[in-house]
Amino acid sequence: MTGITLAVPSKGRLEELTREWFAANGLVITRPGGARSYLGAIEGLPDVTVRFFPASEIARELIRGTIDFGVTGRDLIHETSESGPASVSIAKPLGFGNADVVVAVPDAWIDVTHMHDLADVASDFRGRHGRWLRIATKYITITRQHFARAGIAEYRTVESLGATEAAPASGVADIVVDITSTGSTLAANGLRVLEDGVMLQSEACLVVSRTARWSPRRKAQLDAVLQRLGTSAGF
Amino acid sequence: MTSPALRRANLESLVEAQGACRATPPLLLSADPYFDLAGEEFGRRLLLTTDTTGAEYCLRPDFTLPIVKSYIDDGVGEPAAFSYMGPIFRQRETGPAEFDQAGIELLAQPDGDVALDQVLTFARAALSIFGVAPDIRLGGVGLFEALLVQADMPDAWRPRIRNRFGHTEALDRLLARLEAAPDAPREKQPSRKALVADITEQMVASGLSLSESRSPEEIADRYLEQQALDAAQVPPATLKLLREYLAISGPVLQALTRIEALAARHKLMLGAPIRTIRRHLDRLGEARVTFDAGFSPRLDYYTGIVFEMTGPSGDILASGGQYDRLLERLGATAPIAASGCSVWVDRLEAEVTS
Repeated sequence: MTGITLAVPSKGRLEELTREWFAANGLVITRPGGARSYLGAIEGLPDVTVRFFPASEIARELIRGTIDFGVTGRDLIHETSESGPASVSIAKPLGFGNADVVVAVPDAWIDVTHMHDLADVASDFRGRHGRWLRIATKYITITRQHFARAGIAEYRTVESLGATEAAPASGVADIVVDITSTGSTLAANGLRVLEDGVMLQSEACLVVSRTARWSPRRKAQLDAVLQRLGTSAGF
Repeated sequence: MTSPALRRANLESLVEAQGACRATPPLLLSADPYFDLAGEEFGRRLLLTTDTTGAEYCLRPDFTLPIVKSYIDDGVGEPAAFSYMGPIFRQRETGPAEFDQAGIELLAQPDGDVALDQVLTFARAALSIFGVAPDIRLGGVGLFEALLVQADMPDAWRPRIRNRFGHTEALDRLLARLEAAPDAPREKQPSRKALVADITEQMVASGLSLSESRSPEEIADRYLEQQALDAAQVPPATLKLLREYLAISGPVLQALTRIEALAARHKLMLGAPIRTIRRHLDRLGEARVTFDAGFSPRLDYYTGIVFEMTGPSGDILASGGQYDRLLERLGATAPIAASGCSVWVDRLEAEVTS
């Protein structure tokens, strides 16, 4: 296999900002077939194939090593697999797509302000309610890691792929782990982020796969592109 | 002289020779009891699959739970002993894996100490088949609980400390928080009635059910308790005692002597649980035994004594202990003595080849 593959988010604001960032660094990403085509190129760099993917698939394929480098969120690298962070190298945070993965509880839980309060509530929740404390989230891996570090084992996650902030009111879960940039959606739904409830600060990053097959030639091609972007692979 | 096949056959004979009923639970088990018992932390280790109705199943991740569950379903009460050997399945760092485990479960035995001795003897015999003279690490859950009951502190703190026992960092954070407790006088608290009214209003406004999850009364009570706790501090002498106790770790006789000295200084009655540990030492003979005061599995159904055996490679080869609260957690109506252990067959074989 010759040449290297760059994955770019396939739609929306993230695609726009990614292409703007590359352009600002002198590399113009083209998408000849328009928004319905998933293949592109970088002007003047015939070694690089550009592919357009949803951001979560970019994270997954970077970890598997089927894509060489790409733009995706730090949160998705951590969430896709426990071994995600070790399987990739963050070449450069791009300064957009900033958001935090946070633990939020109903505002009415005035007795719960920190993770240690949550530990106390979780520990006797089953005794009081005949079931475990339920956490709605799409960030199951991150939640498990963070809660394990906080010493909280007594809970169940409920997978929630959208409108997670509505889960407590609809009775699906007691609290949420969600991503937020301003906290306003959480607040509008009567939820409050714990004072030590930020589990991960995420932003869009240029990420290099460590698990891809790096022949000396392909590595040299990568290094050349990264150098033009003012960074390096870090391995 | 020996081969892997012979060692395995010898282990098989040992499992058969326990005077126990050989248990062969199904490979495919409902996942819910595991999540219910051990929560998400263990849940992440399960190999899961879903049937057409959406119900979750897992490949058997251990033997204890299905054995104990079927014992309860058959009607508890009679003493029972089970032994097992076969594959279990767990996720690990590098991907899913199949391991062989062997072990015994002794349930509702008339004498819990005798049962634990049989468990320890079984584990040592299993290891010796593979030529391993283990390092044994003992933990005293019963000892810590006895200390906690007697230590001078407001009652509400005891379950909070107990809940963190076995998780070194979480317990350390709690103790640090207690040590730094502010002396500032508290503002006057609103009445419980006013709090409940406020919380109810807030919950209704955000569309929360007042009964499905935490109720306004529960939140208000914990809030007031929290305020009271901030005022009712754990005495510095008690915090120092807990710190000193948890730091004790070393050769078992020295460690127990230090605990006895600590107990004498603080006028704590720890004689009975310490004597129990000493009694079991006779069964462990010449093995290198350490006692680690802070050591406990993170599951709250463990009681009494827990242990781990490691070989030269440092891998845990056998682990187990007493878990008198397990059967209750699985639906039995009263506590039932239980003890057991499991040994990791693949790791034992690896000790031989390394």
